[in-house]
Amino acid sequence: MFTQFFGNYLLHQQLVSPEHLSEVLQTMKTTRLKLGVLAINAGFMTAEQVEKAHNEQQRVDKRIGDVMVDMGFLTKDQVESLFQTQPAGHLLLGQALVDNGYMTNTQFEQALNSYKQENSISENDFNDGSDEAAARLVKHFYNFSGGTNSAYMTNYVSLLFKNLIRFIGDDFTPMDAKPVCDEISNCVVQRIEGGLSAITIIDADTSAMIEFASRFAKEELTDDDEYTQACVSEFINLHNGLFAVNMSNDTGIELKLEPQCYYDNMDISELKNACVIPVCFSFGVVNFIVSF
Amino acid sequence: MALKVMVCDDSMFVRKKMKDAVAAAGATEIIEAADGQQAIDKYKAEKPDLVFMDIIMPVKSGVEALTEIKAFDSSAKVVMASSVGTQENLKEAIMAGAYDFLQKPIANEDVAKIVSKASQ
Repeated sequence: MFTQFFGNYLLHQQLVSPEHLSEVLQTMKTTRLKLGVLAINAGFMTAEQVEKAHNEQQRVDKRIGDVMVDMGFLTKDQVESLFQTQPAGHLLLGQALVDNGYMTNTQFEQALNSYKQENSISENDFNDGSDEAAARLVKHFYNFSGGTNSAYMTNYVSLLFKNLIRFIGDDFTPMDAKPVCDEISNCVVQRIEGGLSAITIIDADTSAMIEFASRFAKEELTDDDEYTQACVSEFINLHNGLFAVNMSNDTGIELKLEPQCYYDNMDISELKNACVIPVCFSFGVVNFIVSF
Repeated sequence: MALKVMVCDDSMFVRKKMKDAVAAAGATEIIEAADGQQAIDKYKAEKPDLVFMDIIMPVKSGVEALTEIKAFDSSAKVVMASSVGTQENLKEAIMAGAYDFLQKPIANEDVAKIVSKASQ
């Protein structure tokens, strides 16, 4: 989740445009991490040193790791340990942006350091963030207005991003929350009753809905038909079910989920207090609408 | 050995996945129901050996359907399935006479274990 919010942070800092971010999300899967980005992330080298090493490599016929060792920027052990680094998403995102020329190594270094500092994120959080750290990040980015419901919203949205990573994929960027103002068409809805009332909705255009359903079902779907709607409906049911389990365990509040339904044009008058959280996937934008 | 299994879920997607799972686990005949009332009617007509029943369904919920099926046939083997695996739901299902409880997303291995247990 820390990786996904890094994309949001880059947008906020205007270091990357939404178009360029969307473009690199599609190429991230095939991006190969280079030693420079790994060394910057590990704090072994500065972006300036990486640039110097790359310039030097153009002059001498050596591998970049050997050049960095020769120049005294890295030890051989450090090179070995960097090559064993797992390709974490935020690094792939940074590498893809650098490879495409949308960011320099220096901008990547500064952005990554600021992002970690401002959000108290450790390197471990990127790989295995705790629920508390994830909720803190969501709270910081979304700043849901005060009251008990804001705590539920934070937990709901934190779990949503975890479930998106688990069931759909990690190639997305959460965008800023906004109120419902446009008409909602082509959406699945599930109401929650019991200890608290909520409306939860997934809304997307046809192609994004089909791709979202395909990923969840692990099938190649081509039509926006009843089966596609059933797949998306089951995702929201699964997510809401897991949220209900957490609520029961953590707060003792029991929730009752209603059967999901599909609307091709929904009346938005009952969604005055709802919050739209657009999520930009590599295949398009999916809106998650929640009202507690 | 013949084994007739009924899969009840309002989601076409879940029914398809469940049908694949029970077929792989050895079911020889599979019946479908899309809501609680259909589940009751089809149980009475078909008398399946084993039932997988979603809890959240329109018309009649899975627990309502379970209660009516058990009233009709006290030996019915009805496995409740839900995304909401809370203690309360589990307790309610057991009290109503559920044979077992499956937490969604459903794993094929769990379905296979239940089918094997029910076949013995």
